[in-house]
Amino acid sequence: MKKQLVAVLAISLLATGSAFANKKATDTTPEEDLKVYRDYFMKKFPGVPLNEFQNGVYAIDKVSRDSWEAIEEFPPYEPMIEEGEEMWNKPFANGKTYSSCFPDGPAQRKNYPRWDAKRKMVVTLPMMVNECREKNGEKPLKWAKGPITRILSYMAYESRGQKTHVVIPKGDADALAAYNDGKSFYFARRGQLNFSCASCHVESAGQHIRTDILSPALGQTTGWPVYRSKWGELGTLHRRFKGCNKQVRAKPFKPQHRQYRNLEYFLTHMSNGIEYNGPSARK
Amino acid sequence: MKKLTLTALASLLLLAGSAFASNQGDFQKAMKAAQEARKMAQSVDGEWRDIGKILKHAKKAAKKGDFKTATELARIAEFQGKTGYAQAMSQKGVGNPAYLYN
Repeated sequence: MKKQLVAVLAISLLATGSAFANKKATDTTPEEDLKVYRDYFMKKFPGVPLNEFQNGVYAIDKVSRDSWEAIEEFPPYEPMIEEGEEMWNKPFANGKTYSSCFPDGPAQRKNYPRWDAKRKMVVTLPMMVNECREKNGEKPLKWAKGPITRILSYMAYESRGQKTHVVIPKGDADALAAYNDGKSFYFARRGQLNFSCASCHVESAGQHIRTDILSPALGQTTGWPVYRSKWGELGTLHRRFKGCNKQVRAKPFKPQHRQYRNLEYFLTHMSNGIEYNGPSARK
Repeated sequence: MKKLTLTALASLLLLAGSAFASNQGDFQKAMKAAQEARKMAQSVDGEWRDIGKILKHAKKAAKKGDFKTATELARIAEFQGKTGYAQAMSQKGVGNPAYLYN
């Protein structure tokens, strides 16, 4: 009886202790977060070099990697890169091209997402593509799939090898608030299943969910747009956000909604230092 | 005597049945409560995926005159709205979980 009481007391103390260690989003800085996340994943997957996390589940599971490498020999997204290049070079009705908005060329991944201090919001690469179109009198493209993934895949391909470098400007309270919003979104449980993004991709990364293995959050933003076999086509990061939210039975937001832009800001910052390798193929 | 008991039992069952059966008024009340709960959940970005679908089915059932099913569905939607709101409020501002530091 005494032993049982001690055990119950110990369990209660442990539970209380861990509950107290849960942090609020504002308790930690982006720099602290970066270290905590990296240490966590390095400990969880010992021997996997930081940059390997760009390959998602294929960095941590040999069997999945073998079939992925076979797919990558004839990448299903290759024709889409060529279509994207054509889009990049084809003049708009006013005679200008995308390069009028991106004078440094198509290799733009390293610049996005970023904090726009004037507009006080996170701006993403798909947003800039559509703003460029509208500025030149063209209709914006749909956000999740179709032609936008073509131009993005060309830009991603041209950006391969650039390192993720998301900056949360020091002293800008609004930028920090956007980052913390994204962090909160990532760790908040939502939907009927009461799962957070982190429930799968941090806490349970590497474990099976039915026949799939959950990919680690680290490096998850580097390979977009992604050709998913499940989709049978390319899709954007925000399309995947929507899908994840639906899977936990939460009502998803629209692509490029503030919530998803802030989430992208936070999640991409987590992968700082890892190379971009989009477009890529996933199960 | 046996017949009397059976009749009394049957009447009781009928009475109880009518007391619990839903009518249009019950459905409208349940629908209003469900829509309010849904709005509450929406106001904190905590709406669950299926509320819209459930309410649609509830309306369909009511149209067919099946107020029992319609009311039950509306009550499920109300529950989901209220729980989604409570969930979102409880998760407001959360950050790094404890397990990251173990």
